Amino acid sequence: MTELLGKWVLTIVIFAPLAWALILAFIPASAHSTIRRNAITGSLVTLVISLGMLLLYFQQKTGDGEQYLSQIGEFALVTQVPWLGEESGTLSAIDVSYKVGVDGISVWLVLLTTLLTPLVVWGSFSGIRERVKEYYALMLVLESGMIGVFCAMDLLLFYIFFEFTLVPMFLIIGIWGSSERRRAAVKFFIYTLAGSMLTFAGVLYIAFQAYFADGVFTFDLLKLYALAERGAIPVDIQKWLFLAMAAGFAIKVPLFPFHTWLPLAHTEAPAGGSVILAAVLLKLGTYGFLRISLPMLPDATEYFAHMMAVVAIIGIIYGALAAWIQKDLKKLVAYSSVSHLGFCILGMFSLEPAGLTGSVIYMLNHGLSTGALFFLVGMLYERYHTRRFADVSGLARKMPWLAFFLIFFALSSVALPGLNGFVGEFLVLVGTFTSSGRPSALGITYAAFAALGIILSAVYLLHLCGAVLFGPLKEPEHTPDTEHVKTVDLNFREIGVLAPIAALCLFLGVYPRPVLDNIQTSVDRQVLARIVEQPPLSNWDDRRVVEVDQPSALDSQLVAATEGGAR
Amino acid sequence: MSPHLHWSVLRPEITLLVGAILCMIFGVGRENALRKLVAPIGLITLLIAMLLSWAQATTPGSPEAPVGLLADSFAGYFGLIGAAVGALIFLVNWHLPVKGERGEFFGLILCSVAGLILTGRSDDLITLFLGLELTSVPTYVLIALSSNNLRAPESSSKYFFLGAMSAAIMVYGFSFIYGATGTTVIGGASSELGLKGYVLANGLSNPILLVGLVLSVGGLAFKLAAVPFHFYAADVYQGAASPVTGLLGFLPKAAGFAALIRLIVSTGASNDAVVFWTLWIICLATMTTGNVLALLQRNVKRILAYSSISHSGYMLIGVLVGPALVADGNLFNDGVAAVMFYLAVYGVMNLGAFAVLAYLIRRGESAEELSDLNGLWRAEPVAALALAVCVFSLMGFPPTAGFAGKVYVFSGAFSLSSAGPFAKPMIALAVLGVINAAIGAVYYLRIVAACYLDEEREPLDYVPSGTLRFAVTLCALITLAFGLWPRDLMRLSRQASSQIVVQATAEPPAEALVSLPETADPE
Repeated sequence: MTELLGKWVLTIVIFAPLAWALILAFIPASAHSTIRRNAITGSLVTLVISLGMLLLYFQQKTGDGEQYLSQIGEFALVTQVPWLGEESGTLSAIDVSYKVGVDGISVWLVLLTTLLTPLVVWGSFSGIRERVKEYYALMLVLESGMIGVFCAMDLLLFYIFFEFTLVPMFLIIGIWGSSERRRAAVKFFIYTLAGSMLTFAGVLYIAFQAYFADGVFTFDLLKLYALAERGAIPVDIQKWLFLAMAAGFAIKVPLFPFHTWLPLAHTEAPAGGSVILAAVLLKLGTYGFLRISLPMLPDATEYFAHMMAVVAIIGIIYGALAAWIQKDLKKLVAYSSVSHLGFCILGMFSLEPAGLTGSVIYMLNHGLSTGALFFLVGMLYERYHTRRFADVSGLARKMPWLAFFLIFFALSSVALPGLNGFVGEFLVLVGTFTSSGRPSALGITYAAFAALGIILSAVYLLHLCGAVLFGPLKEPEHTPDTEHVKTVDLNFREIGVLAPIAALCLFLGVYPRPVLDNIQTSVDRQVLARIVEQPPLSNWDDRRVVEVDQPSALDSQLVAATEGGAR
Repeated sequence: MSPHLHWSVLRPEITLLVGAILCMIFGVGRENALRKLVAPIGLITLLIAMLLSWAQATTPGSPEAPVGLLADSFAGYFGLIGAAVGALIFLVNWHLPVKGERGEFFGLILCSVAGLILTGRSDDLITLFLGLELTSVPTYVLIALSSNNLRAPESSSKYFFLGAMSAAIMVYGFSFIYGATGTTVIGGASSELGLKGYVLANGLSNPILLVGLVLSVGGLAFKLAAVPFHFYAADVYQGAASPVTGLLGFLPKAAGFAALIRLIVSTGASNDAVVFWTLWIICLATMTTGNVLALLQRNVKRILAYSSISHSGYMLIGVLVGPALVADGNLFNDGVAAVMFYLAVYGVMNLGAFAVLAYLIRRGESAEELSDLNGLWRAEPVAALALAVCVFSLMGFPPTAGFAGKVYVFSGAFSLSSAGPFAKPMIALAVLGVINAAIGAVYYLRIVAACYLDEEREPLDYVPSGTLRFAVTLCALITLAFGLWPRDLMRLSRQASSQIVVQATAEPPAEALVSLPETADPE
């Protein structure tokens, strides 16, 4: 029974929201409350299943029953159904399948998605009053697509889900956005698609590398990883492939010169759309780098590590400076995403265990805290119908709950020790500092410039809090508008949306160990072991087992830093 | 004609022509009841032809095939997709012709489908020409019959004159080929006969043969709406009524590609540098011209017309790749199979898009402008969704059939990358192709945006035809189905193209073929 569940639970998690979207299609469009109830039920059911999935993930063992898959960083809950695989003679050279599975990197991102979707659904109750049915249906379809990306273990399947997420997001921005929604939606779609078409070419070409090497045309991630480990892809081809992949992923992240779609899309999207966009959709880009580019193209990764790090640091500083001068709350948070995701990429290309682990946890943290900031801006907008700094100030006395949450999440985003942001940022910087001994090592200069970004992030986020919450009370005329939200301060529903995120931020800030350990073993196994020259395999295995049992060097560094910060 | 000709080979064509005659006879009947029978008879004929072709498509070609006509699975595949898409075309056109013209109208569609099947079967320049013209000539009339609008006869005559000119160019080219080789046989079935035998023995060193082939390709480019013979497309597509435009995007194009594969690919002529580069330039120019000009349009029919040009460009990539060159060819390195898959898929998704346009009426006229689609999502959610599915499929967006088609075509281009003289140009073409696909997304997205993002300003009307509604839904469902499950259609097209493979590599290649990528072989 557990075996059967373990085989299919991921498929259920991926397609449950889609099924619920289909159910929504049969509810009459005018029955708003039924639709809302159904949408939240659907997303909560998905959340519950995904929590069950987490349990199963921790329990699944290797074939000989000796070790837990989750403890050695392997993919678990794997299912494979042939899609274009052929049994007949001439076509046996093809292996394209529906293959899903999760490891320590993806399982947390799946949970982030399934956790945020119900909150977004709940949080949109008052904001979305037109075309309600379509909105929630699209949200659920989008959830399916995002989970699919994180679970895919077949490159073509990954690409299909990756692309597919564009359609619902395009419609969400284009239909429910604010005044410039149409331009924003089209720009978002075209910009992202243009990049990912090059990724598409890369995906096909990488499969042909397997074909030229082994005579098997395959998109299976593990087989392509194995190909890279053998060094079967020539370095100059790897470089082209890396650039092709990066074209799609860098636009999605977005990295510095390709970020121009992001502020517009974020500003124009409805609050729920912004939350999902920032919290999960941007992670598809960083996840793509981590899952595809790094392990499949190891030589090119080392070759381009410096370039990527420079681009990331430019993004960190440019994003922070741009955020500082914004006059629009949403734009500020949007540019802060550009800055923060620079850290994520920097940690990734430090090619150090600490940096990579930090980069993954940074994805989760950014999802939580920036998602929450977008929620807050949306709640503010519903009451005051403005997003401009100049129009509001001194709200702290009038809206204590809002003030509390805004400061809380701003601090989490600034990486105050004790809150979640700190863990990721610290590890990323440690990774960058300590990387040495390789031509691709980044070292202290990079870390120093990146650290500048931390200071700047404190500047602009505290500027945001100060301008909105403190000073003399200032409100636009005829506001606050409480027609739909009933209370001037946050109402029960809104607090309910924010509180779970805040609790998680606190938890991940104080006790990130279980999550970190799991991420680290997978990062070692799936990514690092394939890039940087490693000690002979047997030693490597021993080392990892030890790490699982005892607090690693990483942990002690972290603990020391946390204590220091707390003092 | 050869004395060995078995009439039984022509079963699908004969069925269709008999059906066409029946339609025309019933159509002139005085009784209303008789006239009502026309369309069902035609549809049944198509379904029978489909079954007959299915039998041919799933059995390998008979070794003792008569000269001039072939009964291989390549012909069977074109019969199958021709009759299947033909049946969809019937459903979309069901409501269109006025009472007195139903017989001619549906009879002519059947003739055109028969022409497509004959083209796929042709192994002789004369039957090839016959097949191509049998496909095209009925379409000239169909355009004129399709609408009372003044633009219909105008576009019909434009199409006719240009078509006649291109046919003349093509026949002129054929005469050069005959002059050089001394035979009209293409010789697809064996490697000693006809044009193929000549190319294998002598290469394309004979300039007269080369001129003949290039002129023929020029004539065929008209059928494909490929550059430089693409100018008519937008005007003709706009002038014809939408249901007939859906037909124009499939039948002549499919016939053109069948002829191109028979004439250029199966003979090995496309491995010659001059022919290759001619096609390469045509391919790139076609993709780019189609996509860039479509960006400038506001009329949906013109957008789809230019998109039709660009899709010909994508399919030409597959023609350039040619059949699988390595012995263990598979789905992903077989350019011919990719073209054949793409053709079937393109026929359905393009027809679906035009069917939705045909279904909508704004201000008493059939919908054409982008703004005519505004608010469609509210008024007709099913039609809007169907249009979105078809348009996303044209865009090549997963998980639709258009995406599967693009995967096959572009992976074919990469399959040549291991070695050979054309490796670099093919990769370049694939990259330019995906860039083109990204340009294409801009105007396809405008269609989706027009029907989902904008509110309607004037009320929409609908053609009261249940058949058309059904056809719209069916096209969208088929598009989705082949996106999620492309395997079986791909297998059929693979089997069909294996005929071409066997023929092209049966003999040790002459000098033009020397540089086959041996390194691609896993051993």
